[in-house]
Amino acid sequence: MKKSRKLMALAALAGSVALWFSLSESTRRYIVHLGKQVPYLPYRYFI
Amino acid sequence: MVDYDVVVIGAGLGGVTSGAILAKNGFKTLILEQAEVVGGCCSTFDYQGYKFDTGASIVMITQPLEEAFRRMGKEVRDYVELVPCEPIYSVHAYDGTKFTIPTDIDDATEVISRIAPEDVEGWKRYTRIGLDMVGQLEQMMTTPMNTLSETARLELSHPGMMKYFPYFLRSHQGVTVQFLKNPVIQSTVAFQSYYAGAPPELGLGTLGFIALCEHLGIYYPRGGMIAIPEGLRRAGEEFGLEVRFNQKVEKILLEGNMARGVLLEDGTEILSRIVVANVNAKVTYLKMIGPDNLPRWAVKAIDSYEVAMPCPMIYLGLDTSPPLDAHHTIKTGDLEQSNRVWNDYYKKGIRPPMGGWLISWPTESDPSLAPEGHHVVNFVWGGPAPYGLLGDNWDRLKPAFTEEALKVFESEVMPDLHDHLKVVEVSTPLDFERRLLTPQGAIYGLFLDFFSSAMFRPHPRSRVVKNLYLAGASVGLGGGVPTTIASGVITSDYVLKDLG
Ligand SMILES: Cc1cc2nc3c(=O)[nH]c(=O)nc-3n(C[C@H](O)[C@H](O)[C@H](O)COP(=O)(O)OP(=O)(O)OC[C@H]3O[C@@H](n4cnc5c(N)ncnc54)[C@H](O)[C@@H]3O)c2cc1C
Repeated sequence: MKKSRKLMALAALAGSVALWFSLSESTRRYIVHLGKQVPYLPYRYFI
Repeated sequence: MVDYDVVVIGAGLGGVTSGAILAKNGFKTLILEQAEVVGGCCSTFDYQGYKFDTGASIVMITQPLEEAFRRMGKEVRDYVELVPCEPIYSVHAYDGTKFTIPTDIDDATEVISRIAPEDVEGWKRYTRIGLDMVGQLEQMMTTPMNTLSETARLELSHPGMMKYFPYFLRSHQGVTVQFLKNPVIQSTVAFQSYYAGAPPELGLGTLGFIALCEHLGIYYPRGGMIAIPEGLRRAGEEFGLEVRFNQKVEKILLEGNMARGVLLEDGTEILSRIVVANVNAKVTYLKMIGPDNLPRWAVKAIDSYEVAMPCPMIYLGLDTSPPLDAHHTIKTGDLEQSNRVWNDYYKKGIRPPMGGWLISWPTESDPSLAPEGHHVVNFVWGGPAPYGLLGDNWDRLKPAFTEEALKVFESEVMPDLHDHLKVVEVSTPLDFERRLLTPQGAIYGLFLDFFSSAMFRPHPRSRVVKNLYLAGASVGLGGGVPTTIASGVITSDYVLKDLG
């Protein structure tokens, strides 16, 4: 049970990495650019 | 005792629009402007007999302007004469292809079918979806979407917009390449992301349809771009609006966390029930109010915004007609080049080489801006140029930059430029900063993307300082003539609601 959960997590991680590298560089920069702003969103909403 | 009901800091479009509407509603309103004229980025100045537009060169989407005048019971046409510009653009593509883009969509489709037959179907889909979305957005521009509930209310009243939500999450480039495959056609749609201050790969997806707004018509106001804020000011003055020039506001006066007026540079205090700031929100909060008077989270929020892009402008006075065939002529770069300007130059503090550019030719629409037979031309660096230059500064660089820009204009546009050039004036980012007091000479307020627009942009009714309101490029939908006029309308609505 524990082993299969670990395997699933590993597969999900590997899938995400593969997906990330299948994106164009522009798309990756876009995601990083938006991602960097996420921590500020609650503050921005209330200013 | 207060001196005024409303004090507005700055006579930019957001400031004059909100000030004029509030005056019409019976509020004793004063606008304080540090310059000698109205308009800020949307203004016109005289230089040796030629009239040059400071920044903005055309207006598209006239609905907010019409709405602003309607709120005063007036008609735009009685105050501003808008001359339609046809064609929209003359394009000099990066690969040497030259063509013009007409306003009429069918005519534009015809042009595309000649240059990129493979893109006709995509273009038709792009226009079908885009024109519907733009039409709906136009109706929504003067409606607030600054909170979750306002946005939800807006969506409910325009259910047709819901299906376009995915475009808000995508980048400008993502939208462009979804519909258009030919790199030249892509470049004519993608360069406009810089109209909102962002490279194609980072710009807001819905602005990928901005090109279509121009197919609803682009206009030039007779008398120069200043005619728009002047018209608004004249209408407001009929209701008692007062505008004072050469009045620089240093501070917003506070009582606890409540604005109660302003302090001018010369030490004068003017007390008011409310303050409307039409200056960059970073200046409003961090300089005029000061970090010490704000909660730490608010400082964090305002610090987290980037300003939206410095960009130099070259103003030319000629004694002959330039060899141009449209009010706007653009030289585009392909998508990769457009992004490279941002990633490899702008972000690294390196001045990009003069690649793409935008020329506007105001005397084509209004010959009265120059002496008879003469012309004015604005030559805009085709993208962002860093304010802080690595190992250099704009004052030192200005002569060499001017020389380089003139050489490009001569070799790519007008080979006999030097025989006809009567006047040259240049505004570098440092000059814009000094002239308009806009941080880093930013021309569109704050950077605009999904996470820094609408409800994630500073709120027009400040949520940290009571009785403080904001209008202009730093709020709502960002920089641009229609968006800042719309912000002025929305801000005045908040004030009317609060002060009744
Ligand atoms: C080079 C350039 C090209 C552009 N091209 C276009 C275009 O073609 N089409 C388009 O739609 N948009 C264009 N824009 C954008 C558009 O012009 C602006 O987004 C819009 O005009 C900004 O309006 P605003 O209300 O934010 O006020 P601003 O124009 O920023 O005005 C603010 C005013 O406040 C004043 N002020 C500042 N500090 C103080 C102080 N301390 N005390 C008193 N007064 C103060 C300033 O002098 C200024 O008059 C362009 C902008 C630039 C600069």
